[in-house]
Amino acid sequence: MTGSLEVTSHDTATNAGTLPTRDEEPDGPPIFSDRELARLDEALTMSSRETGLRFTLYIGDLGPQTRSYAEELFARSGDHLADSCLLAISPGQRVIEVVTGAGAARRLPDRACALAVLSMTNAFAGGDLVGGIVNGLRQLSDQAGHPRGLHTH
Amino acid sequence: MTVVETLLVFVVAPLAVILIFWALVYLPGGRRRKLRYKPGQAWEHEPVWYEPHPAGGAGGGHGTGPAAVPGSGTSALGSSMYPEQRPELEAGDGQARAAGATAVGAGGQAVVGGPLGGARGTW
Repeated sequence: MTGSLEVTSHDTATNAGTLPTRDEEPDGPPIFSDRELARLDEALTMSSRETGLRFTLYIGDLGPQTRSYAEELFARSGDHLADSCLLAISPGQRVIEVVTGAGAARRLPDRACALAVLSMTNAFAGGDLVGGIVNGLRQLSDQAGHPRGLHTH
Repeated sequence: MTVVETLLVFVVAPLAVILIFWALVYLPGGRRRKLRYKPGQAWEHEPVWYEPHPAGGAGGGHGTGPAAVPGSGTSALGSSMYPEQRPELEAGDGQARAAGATAVGAGGQAVVGGPLGGARGTW
């Protein structure tokens, strides 16, 4: 009797056809620990607020054509594409792509992006994903600087 | 000092100390498990997209539309602390991605606000 009760209680799973709530972990092991997530969060938010550009970070597979896929991702990364900067990292393929919009590219020339990418790949080769990302974001935001008209704090 | 006392002091007590340290180091929960990325290992996590927090009441005021992964119909979460929620994928990942790419091509969404700059690196 208790066995049948247990079976029926397991059948009434609440998340059968619904999206996972934000409290639930997605399936699979977590990518980053909470501490690392907090570091990433702060780096992204502070560099975006400091520069007025919008930095977004994509971590995942980039397909066979990494550049075109990263640009396709960039095209969907928000509303103000000209002032956006996307860091697309594919750890499985060991590729990082930095895509900057037209307005962001004036303040972040390709050479500065390449320098930041170089420091990031150095850290990634040592196995330090989060440290590399945080340092790369810091380097990019230092290069972009703080526009005079921007009052964020 | 009897034999029992000698054994207690010189054998059991050091062993107890050693056992305590061993338990502190190796038992689960005693040491934080490292989720460490090693270069060259496969990456079988879901793709994640992190966005900055929208600046609350800032003068710049970027209207931050949600970022979205093509082909999956998902959008990134603004808090950037959790990966994107994806609905049930009925097709395989590759199929979904191919469908998204063709949809982009058919939609003709090629111009994304001027020429794109950037850099590329491998490690």
